[in-house]
Amino acid sequence: MWPSIQRWRGVILIGTATAAIVWLALSGQLVLYIHPRYVVFTVIMAVITLVFVTASTLSRAAADHGEDDAPVGRGPRAISLVGLVLAGLTVVGMLVLPPATLSSATADQRDINSTTISAGVQNLDEVSGGTAESFAALTVVDWSSLLRQTNDLSFYSGKTADVTGFITPDASDPDNVFYVSRFFITCCAVDAQPAGVPVYYPGWADTMAVDDWVHVTGEFTTNPSTLSAQPLALNPSEVTAVEQPAEPYLY
Amino acid sequence: MGTRTETEERSHQSHSHEHDHGHGPTKPRLSRKRLVWLIVGVAGIAGLLAMRGLVGEASGSPLPNQVQDLLTLSFSVIIESLPFVVLGILLSIVVQAWLPDGILMRYLPRNPVLRRLCISMFGVVLPVCECGNVPLSRGLIIKGFTVSESMTLLLAAPIINPITIITTHQAFGFDDGILVARIVGGLAIANIVGWLFSLHPRQFDLLTPKFAAECRRPDGHDHETRVGKSLGIFVRESSVIMPALFIGALVAGAIQTAVPRDVLVQLGSNPLWSILAMMVLAFVIAVCSSVDAFFILPFASTFMPGSIVTFLVFGPIIDIKMLAILRTTFTTKVLVQLTIIVGLLSALLGLVVNYVA
Repeated sequence: MWPSIQRWRGVILIGTATAAIVWLALSGQLVLYIHPRYVVFTVIMAVITLVFVTASTLSRAAADHGEDDAPVGRGPRAISLVGLVLAGLTVVGMLVLPPATLSSATADQRDINSTTISAGVQNLDEVSGGTAESFAALTVVDWSSLLRQTNDLSFYSGKTADVTGFITPDASDPDNVFYVSRFFITCCAVDAQPAGVPVYYPGWADTMAVDDWVHVTGEFTTNPSTLSAQPLALNPSEVTAVEQPAEPYLY
Repeated sequence: MGTRTETEERSHQSHSHEHDHGHGPTKPRLSRKRLVWLIVGVAGIAGLLAMRGLVGEASGSPLPNQVQDLLTLSFSVIIESLPFVVLGILLSIVVQAWLPDGILMRYLPRNPVLRRLCISMFGVVLPVCECGNVPLSRGLIIKGFTVSESMTLLLAAPIINPITIITTHQAFGFDDGILVARIVGGLAIANIVGWLFSLHPRQFDLLTPKFAAECRRPDGHDHETRVGKSLGIFVRESSVIMPALFIGALVAGAIQTAVPRDVLVQLGSNPLWSILAMMVLAFVIAVCSSVDAFFILPFASTFMPGSIVTFLVFGPIIDIKMLAILRTTFTTKVLVQLTIIVGLLSALLGLVVNYVA
């Protein structure tokens, strides 16, 4: 039994993982894990992999090989067995768990708005000359980039923000302020940078929960919260619960 | 796609041997047994897809946020590297089964230093990042390259591969000499490390006993067709690389969920500390070299350019996933030495860029 497990573990792992990738691609959920620009390449390689996995069941070399390996000691075998079980559980997880985006736990851990997102930077001068439609098109990432550049209220007056994101509580005043947050991705979920717009909404936790997706419209005002570290916050005219968008990350 | 039982295995083998001896080294035939396995394979993949489709309907995750994010991050590392791993295995197959013997050796200079320099330049035409380079380098050792020569390729290729150069250029342009420092520095480090390990008198001692035995084994499958040999390599390499990739990705996901990111970012502005922080970050996040420039781009304003260079040179060679994969081929002692040497050299490179730029 052991030698055949040793021999076929790779094919089984790679075949199962690839089947999971193909399904994710078919159901449009591959973007939960990687930037859309890698999707085509990933799918092409997945198809090639499946051809090899299928063909390898015919391989005689694979069947012959490994017999002449020296017998393995109990210690190394145990380590390799533990590793294999872990890898096996991971691949089963890929197959049975519902695909998920990163949550507020990671947003918290990575510190919202801690890094400058160079690709998403909005030019102050260009934005100030915009129209109502152009403001409505600005995302959470765009607004958070503007908020980092200026706290001047006059810049924001008359500009209505219209943003969608998930709820992450503001660490400095979790009762009254939450962030409408999104992850910004340049390569894959591993480099996701959380960005968020603070919203002043006392008692938000009564009607909404952390990680809920919401659509918020409103204008920026001086943050009424005395505890919050954020000088400005969105004064929401409307907060509605929405479904998680098909592409939860911003690029 | 099931595992076979031992009895089935034996009967299967005796069956195929029968064919070998009965009909001589002619082209292999599809025995009925193999046909059954082919059907099992196809049905298995179809079954997995169907199962995934069914389970996927259930929405809402039963897991706590942190565990869920750990898995999302690990899956992300696996999904992002898997295509490159497969590409690497395919290249290894080309080198081992399809290129005529000795064609790579014929045109290389005899002088060891020049020879390694040439080998490190191979990477320019190989679109493979670090994890895919491991099967390729193993294939080259089996084909007769020395261990240190193969190691030079292993270190240089992920950094100077065409995709890496293009993505690094897209991300940084020629700003602060980051692109040039990455290419030149990566080549230099690969050649220095290759030279250091070439000083070892018994090259095979650098390898794990199992892989060394595989290299010593005479190529006994000459009667085999190239297709059969290719499939054999696919089965063998995937069984070596895949468990390591999964475990590396799992550890990378766990560390990222556990260590707060701002701890690293706070160290960003100090010339020395920012370099060390970048090396830790590179070690932990374990993304492929072809995409790591985009990864580090958001940090470009926080960290000094030299630290970015350190990240871009150290990361492709050493990270947690890569160590797990390298351990399939090299001894622990070699990996510790490799980590220290590459760490020191890339830190030096980063310091130089920090003070010059």
